[in-house]
Order: sequence, then structure tokens, then C-alpha cells
Amino acid sequence: MLDMGCCCCTPQEQWIEDAAKGKPSPFRAEQPRVIDMLESFDCTPPVIDVERARYFTESMRETEGQHLTLRWAKALMNVAQKMPVYIEDTQLIVGRLGRDNCRYGILYPELDGDFYKSVLDDFATRENPPIRVMDEDIDVIVNEIGAYWNGKTYHHELFKRMPERCKRMAYGDKEGLQPRYVVAESSSLRSSLQWVLDFDKVLKLGFKGVKENARRRLEALDQKDPYNIVNRIPFLEAVMLTCDAVVVWARRHAELAREKAAVEKDPARRQELLEIAERCEWVPENPARTFHEAVQAHWFAQAFSRLEQRTGCIISNGRMDQQLISYYRKDMESGVLTEKKALEILGCMWCQMAQFIELPLSPGVMDTQAGFAHWEAVTIGGQTPDGQDATNELTYLLLRSKREFPTHYPDLAVRVHTRSPKRYLWDIAETIKQGQGYPKLVNDEELIPRMLAKGAPVSEVYDYVVSGCNETRLINRESYMSPGTQVNLCAALELTLRNGRLKKFGDGVFTFESGDPCSFKTWEEFWDAYVAQQNNLITTAFVLQDTIHHTRAKYFASPLASGLHNLCVESCVDLNSDQAPEGALDLAFFDAIGFGTLVDSLSVIKKLVFEEGSLTMQELLEALDCDFEGKEALQAMLQRAPRFGNGDDYADNLYKQVEKSALDFTAHYAKNYGVQPIEIRTTSVTANVPHGKFVSAMPNGRKAWTPLSDGSSPSHGSDMSGPTAVLLSQYKSTNWNAPNRACRLLNMKIAPKTVEGDEGTQKLVDLFRSFIDLRVWHLQINVINRETMIAAQKDPHKYRNLVVRIAGYSAYFVDLNTDLQNDLIDRTEQQSV
Amino acid sequence: MQDRDRKGIVFNVQRFSVHDGDGIRTVVFLKGCPLRCRWCSNPESQQFRPERAFNPNRCLGASVCGRCVEACATGGLTLTEDGLIRYDRAKCTDCGGCVRRCPTGAQSYYGEERSVADIMKRVEEDDVFYTRSGGGLTISGGEPLAQPDFTLALLREARKARLHTTIESCGQYPTEVLDQACRLLSSLIFDVKSLDPARHREYTGHGNEQILKNLNHVLAHFPDLPVLVRTPVIPGFNDSEEEIMGIRRMLPDRPTVRYEVLTYHRLGMPKYGYIGRPWLMGEVTADEPFMKRLRDRLAAFTR
Repeated sequence: MLDMGCCCCTPQEQWIEDAAKGKPSPFRAEQPRVIDMLESFDCTPPVIDVERARYFTESMRETEGQHLTLRWAKALMNVAQKMPVYIEDTQLIVGRLGRDNCRYGILYPELDGDFYKSVLDDFATRENPPIRVMDEDIDVIVNEIGAYWNGKTYHHELFKRMPERCKRMAYGDKEGLQPRYVVAESSSLRSSLQWVLDFDKVLKLGFKGVKENARRRLEALDQKDPYNIVNRIPFLEAVMLTCDAVVVWARRHAELAREKAAVEKDPARRQELLEIAERCEWVPENPARTFHEAVQAHWFAQAFSRLEQRTGCIISNGRMDQQLISYYRKDMESGVLTEKKALEILGCMWCQMAQFIELPLSPGVMDTQAGFAHWEAVTIGGQTPDGQDATNELTYLLLRSKREFPTHYPDLAVRVHTRSPKRYLWDIAETIKQGQGYPKLVNDEELIPRMLAKGAPVSEVYDYVVSGCNETRLINRESYMSPGTQVNLCAALELTLRNGRLKKFGDGVFTFESGDPCSFKTWEEFWDAYVAQQNNLITTAFVLQDTIHHTRAKYFASPLASGLHNLCVESCVDLNSDQAPEGALDLAFFDAIGFGTLVDSLSVIKKLVFEEGSLTMQELLEALDCDFEGKEALQAMLQRAPRFGNGDDYADNLYKQVEKSALDFTAHYAKNYGVQPIEIRTTSVTANVPHGKFVSAMPNGRKAWTPLSDGSSPSHGSDMSGPTAVLLSQYKSTNWNAPNRACRLLNMKIAPKTVEGDEGTQKLVDLFRSFIDLRVWHLQINVINRETMIAAQKDPHKYRNLVVRIAGYSAYFVDLNTDLQNDLIDRTEQQSV
Repeated sequence: MQDRDRKGIVFNVQRFSVHDGDGIRTVVFLKGCPLRCRWCSNPESQQFRPERAFNPNRCLGASVCGRCVEACATGGLTLTEDGLIRYDRAKCTDCGGCVRRCPTGAQSYYGEERSVADIMKRVEEDDVFYTRSGGGLTISGGEPLAQPDFTLALLREARKARLHTTIESCGQYPTEVLDQACRLLSSLIFDVKSLDPARHREYTGHGNEQILKNLNHVLAHFPDLPVLVRTPVIPGFNDSEEEIMGIRRMLPDRPTVRYEVLTYHRLGMPKYGYIGRPWLMGEVTADEPFMKRLRDRLAAFTR
């Protein structure tokens, strides 16, 4: 007999119920400033702010022909000097990139300015999500900004250079605006890949010190060397100018704070404004002296990096518990700081983060990154650079901050390892049980050996940082500009089943004819045909990557991020360069999309068609062609084949085999490509949804055009054996002896009832320990009721604060489009009853 | 016969079970139980042999399927006028043809013959989770000791694999069987439903004499074996504080003996329909405030 009940809410669900009944936030009493601020902008439609784009363009117009990094620095200085600065009424952390008292987004015309006009024309018709543009700004965007960039943008150039074989797989139109997700690229959605600034330099040296480093490097250069004159000297000048620009921008906040203080009637706020002024006069120019200064400097650097590049909001926060602990301890000892105050300061920073929105202006972004996603991960825990457990008081405070502030920014990533203390794992479990989908677990026991195998120095690997979704960075070793592409594995299978055709694009041969599948006598023949189609897509991805890699170097520069990178300063090379700085680890990668769906489909073909003979290839193809209409019985029968995610050797080995074929293929060609191993990742984020729209019915019973499986998670509803089996499938399907495998993204949903009470927390902790033992890369657990999600679909207003986990990041459920909502609801709930 | 080759009738192997003993466990559910508790949430566990079930919720219907009707030669499966499948248990000869043809599992058997080796392979897969959580194997049912040869063989093999072993037991069987099992167990979960023999007989089909005798045997002869005594609190049967506190008072105060009450639920109800049996408990539901009071009183219990 099992003890169970049905009704169980997560705390998050309880808050929503309470809020609907008019009960105030349970955290208001403790943190009124932050909760009030949050509620003032929460879920309001974001506004486009044009100032960054306007002043960036103004400067770029005047510097044509100069060294690119230097042009960038000059443009940033122009922005820093002229862009309006704001201080919100109750904020304690300042530094906005757009107008105040709202959620806002800014424009990066150097990336995509050539299609603003068509996007704005289309804008009025767009239902979800709503973005506001001020009428007076439309003219600025189209005629002032867009007009200059027309024909000069990265997107324009990339599309022009893109070889035909890539174009037809990546785009469906002549302008390169309508993505086709067969082989997709994300480089025209954002100018940098995910990255983490060296915040330690910002805090410990200040930008004065960073500038000084660049100056010393400059003085050491042979000033008569023509190469230096053309390349290195302007690069270092750019770094120095950018350091000045950050300081200029910060000091303008100090001036504004003093002006505001002079007219402020409330003495308490006047005092706060004067303190803001003092802080902004000191940091980020000089080394931070207090916790509050350190957080302010941190935010200034991070915010400014968003002026530098369209980061996709994935300039992560780094290891905040490590960076800030010395300031925290000192202030706590001297009594100028309390836990409550520290939480308030962090809350103020989270509010700044939450108000900055990544604008989904191009069609591609809309599809892959719905919900105004943010990935600026805060990394906590893990190990110190010398390999000791790194948890400290701030680790726990940051977890508490996550539990008590109902925002989904920033993304919290917890590094775990075999010596992670129980208290830490317990707090992680309790935080996950809040039902916000935080934090995500990243496993040192897999990551560190992986990085060593790829050539990272042992002196640096223990200090790695989670960056972006579930990727990681060695912030002074890696160069970040390895481009990323996505390969639709299920499209490769459809191409095999339709002899080189995709239903989406009609009867013409789309790739090449790999043989009539009905003519295959054995599984091996079928498999070879599949691998040929798969590798053809991978080849296309590489060609696309190569184009991206070299185009990006000519169109983007990043004096701020490069100036904080040891190797870039040493080699005087911009991070965007296609020449990796000397000693850098440059890892190219591609994402494989739809692994679970593919593996289950291959399992059906191998088992039912070729081994059992209970289904003929002809019957299968007919069923796929009519999308199982009237063939629901056959569709249901397909579920009988072994499926991935159940710890079943048959399916797990198929996964392993697919991964191995791709790993071997890329390892073979990586040499020619001139980089270190080309990694294969399964970080789909939400790309499994648009990729699904290009794939017709699949042999695992998936209907045409519906989402593919996400990350390396099992396909929807196929993991019937519970979380232990899901984790074991990850372990068993891994090619442990392959150097070039990389992040796997694993999502799991657990009903609150399963992990109720202290006993339930303990079971989660136990699950984490085994997750660490099994060396699975990443794990996210969403503790949520299916009923809650269905209710939220029906009544978005009531559930507007519902935060849910979607493949590597959180977003408000009601911000998601219906497809994604359904995708979430359909994921198997691991209810243990 | 070697232990590994011994076979039993098993109807489910459930991983990541978190409410059936310490840690993360795999529960092996065995068919067959001597009791017929009216509230039983696993009615499919009661009969010893595999049992035909029809779950209409999973059935696609004759319009797109109807494979089972085609497969049935005895008239056990027929079509209703509105295109639904009707299962007539009386005409079924248990040939299994429909189950093999059914694509969705709507036509199925509860229970199949499995060997100890086969079960152990599945159970040992989650070893990495048992090791960390202090979990292991739980044998449940049905009544595990109603298939004593199989259960004892499985327990011996589990001990060889150094697994933590538990059974969930109703207590109705010869004392000798329990004595043998206790030598192989890391802990025991033992149900006591009522101290009133007549009511016990009325609601479960058996008196409680043998059950209490067995419990006392364990408590007397295996003082070091952790025993969790559990009582499902059933509305209209044993839902009084006197009854529950009476059971509690009967138990010795020692660290190896714990007592727990379980809240009544109706999640087993649909399964009665699948195997063609009536649900006898009606609409009655658990009294949550009463359960809370009861748990508070138990927590504060002193003699």
C-alpha cells in the first residue's frame, strides 16, 4: 500500500493563489523595496529604446575605414557620453540602458539594422509577445538608424557570403529572414556567443587597473613595427578608450544622483542618492571597497557589455559567491552590512536585469527564444581553483535570494561535485521545490575531466564558470567566437525515409537520394543511409560555421570583453577575431536537435521493421505520409518499441551509436577546420519547437510539425520509468571515450507530491548525489503540477507570475506562445505514486 | 532449483519509489493476496494468476482499431452499437490473442511470470541510487509471502547483491514463512488494520489472529529488525482515535519499531472497473483534519 494524496501545491503555486485572493507577497514585509519595484514592471510590455543604436550609429558613420575594435570603442564612448542616464525612484543599483520604469530592449543595428523596416511593418500584426515602439522612434529607427546600416550589416554580409547549400537549408527566402530549421544558425540573432566577463578584474583592479594593463602592454610593443601600428596599437588604444567610456558613463550617474539629491525632499532617499553618487564616483574606475560597491561595479560592467554587443543576454554573472565573498565578510564583520541589506542589494541588481529585455525583432529569435528569455547565469558552489569545496556564506545567501524573490532573473546555476556538502544540496533541493525551476545543476565530475581532455590547463579548470544555458567557460583561456549552428537530426531521418526529400518542401530532391527505404533488406543498409544524410547536414553546418567565423571577425569587435581577457590583451587580438589569441582554447560546436525523437524513431525501424517484421517499411511510410490519420492503431503500436529514457539498453545504445557516428565524423574533419575538437552538444534551448515545424510525422508516433524532443531529454511522454531511469539512460548512452562530446541538456519534471516535506527533500538530495556519481552534465528539475499549467493557459492573467523551466532557462509561462506551453505540458510528469 | 531460476507472478516493477521504505527504492509487486480488503488500492494484486484487464480509457475504439474483436474467437469481445468495445469476462477463455493484438495496452494482463534473475537485473540497475540514498529492494503486492518460494529466493539473491531488503506485508500466512523471511530482511513493513477480529473478518475476509501472532513473533524473535507498523485509516472501518491508539499502545517502545498511519485514498478505483469488479467503498473520502489530529496525537504519544 502506498501513502499518497493528490492535492499538493508548490510554494509558488500557493503565492499565485494568494495573490489572486488579494493577499500581499509574503516577502514584502522583509524586502518591500525590491518587491514594489518588481511589481511595478512585472509582465508589462517592453518598450524599444533607440538611444544606444542612435549614438552608436552616429559614431560609426564617422569612423569608417578605421581599425574595427577602435571604431567600436569610439562608438561606445559616444554612447556613454550621450545616452540619457536614469536613476529610478527607489533603486540602489544604477545603470540602465533604456528609459526608466518599464521593461525595455535596445537595438543593435550593426547586426540586423537592414531589416528593421520590414520588421516594423510586420510589427503591428504581431500578437505575442507585445512590444511597444514609441511613434516618434519609428522614424529614427527606419530613417536615421536603418538607413545607414542598409547593406552594411553583419546579417546582410553573412547571407551574401553563405554558400548555396547552406542557404537552402537555413533560409527559405531571398533576404535571409525566414529561417528553415534543417541546418540553422543563430549568429545573426546575436553578435556574441554566451560569455562571462572576468569580473574579478573589474572588482579588484577597477577599470583604471584594466586600462593600466593595456597601457603597459602598449608600452612594451615595438612602436616601429608596422604590424603593431596597423593591428596591435589600435586594439590596445581601443581597450583603453573603452575603460574610459565605462567610467564616463558611471560618473554621469554620480552627477545625476547629486542633482536628484539636491531636490529630494525625503531625507532618507536624499542620503541614498548621495551614497549612490559616492559609489559611482569610485567604482568601477577603482577597486571596490564594500559589498555594495562591488555589486554596483559588477552591474556597471555587465550592463556596459550589453551596449557593446547583442549578447542574447548571455553575458553571465560568473561565480558571484566567490567574487563577492571577501567584500561580504569584511562588511559583515565591520557591521556595515546585514544579511537583509545584502539581499536587498542583490534584489536591486536582479530588478535591473529583469527590466532589460532581449527584443525578439527577427523572425528567428521569436521562434527559438520565446518568453523574453535570459541566460545571465549566476554560478555558485563548485570548487576553488585549487580543488577544495567552494561553498561559503554567500552561496547560501544567493540560494535564499532566489527562493525569496519571485523573478526568473538571473538564472541560477549550481556547480556540484562529490564533496559538495549536504547543506548545499539540501538548499538546492529546497529552492527547486519552490517550483520556479531553479537552480540548474552542473556537474564538476563530468565538466572538469572533459575540459582537461580538450586541452585546458589543470591550473584553470577548477575555476570554470557556467555560461549561458548549460555551457561553461574558462574565462581567460577560451576564445568565444567559435560559431554555433544547429543540425536537425529528425530532418536527416525524414530525408532517409523519403529518399532525399522533405515533405515540407514538396517532391523535389532536397539533399540527395540515399536509396528507396523499401529496398533496404537489413537494418545496416538503413543505418548507412541515415548516417549519410546526417553527415551531409553536419557538413553543411561546418561550411556555414566557417562562413560565420570569418564574417563575424569583419563585422564585430568587443574592446570591453577583450580588454578583460588575459590572452586577448597579451596577443592584442579581439575576441571576435577569426585568429584565436595565442594559447587560447577554441572549441567549435554544433547542436544536435531532436535526439530523443530520433532515437525512438530509429528504435521503431530497427526493432519492428527489421528485427520483428511486425511492420513493413511500406506500412510505416504510408502511416507517416498521412500523419497517422485513420492509422491511430498503428501509431499506438509504435510505442511498443524500446524508448530512450527508460534505462533500456536497446534504445540507450542507439543514442550512443548516433552520437558516436557524429563524433567520429566531426573528429575526422576537425583537423582541416583548424580548431580543436568540434563539440557536439544537445543544448536545444527551445529550438526543438521551430525545428519540429520542418519535420513531418516521425516513426516514434510524433505527429507532423509538432515539437521534437528537447536537449538530450527523452521524447515527450516516453520516459515511463521515472527519474532514476532517465538519469541512467544519460549515463548509458554516453560515449565516455570520445573527447569531443559536450553539454547535454536534461530536463525533468517532478510533481510536488513526490518530494513533499523533509523526506522529499532528502530524496532529491539523494537523487543529486547519484546524478553526480553518474557524471551527467546537467540537470534541471521542474517541480510543478500539470493542472497548474493547464489552468495558466486558460487564465493567463491569474497565472502571470508563473515561472517555469524550459530547456535551460526560465520564462514566464504566459509569455510563451501556445506551442511552447503545450510542449511543456506534454512533457511526462514524473509522478511517483 | 537454483534461486535465480525460480519464477513468480509479478505485476509491476516500479523504480524511484519514495514512499516504501528508506531511500530511493525499486518496488516489486507480486500477485496474490490472502486478504480481500474492501479498500484495497491494488485490486489487480489479489488473485494469484495473471488476470485479464480491459482499460477503456486507453482503447482507440472500433472506428480506428477493433483489432481485439477480430482476434477474439469466443465472443468475449464484441462491438456495441456506438462503436465501443465490450468485454464479456464469462465468454473469455484467456487465450491472450486480443492482448497480443492490442496496440495501446487497453487489453492487457495484470501479472506475468518472471524469474528471480530477470527481476534482479532490473532491480540492480538502480544500485547507484540505493547506495546514495540507503534505499534498495522492496517486495510488495499482493502479499509477498503468499509466494514464499519466489520471495525467499529473491531475498536471498538480493542479499547476495548486498541490497537493502524490505517487504510490505499484510501478515496473513504461516509464522514459519515470516520467520524465514525476517532472516533475510533489512527491515519489515507490516500492516495492522484493526484489533477487532470480527470487524477485521468483515472487511478483509480474515480475522486478525494470525496477523497479530505473526507480528508478536517478529517483535519477540527479531528485536533488532527495524519494523514499520502501518495502518491504513479507512472511513467507517477503523477511523477512530481509540482504535488507532489501541494499535499504538500494543506496540513496544523501542527504537527499531515505528508506527505510521496512512490516509485513505481512492486512486485504485478505476482498476476495479478494468478487471470487472465492483468498487465497494462508494464516495467516501478521507477526513484530512481527523488525520492531522491523529498524527499529532501519535507524535505526542506517551504511556
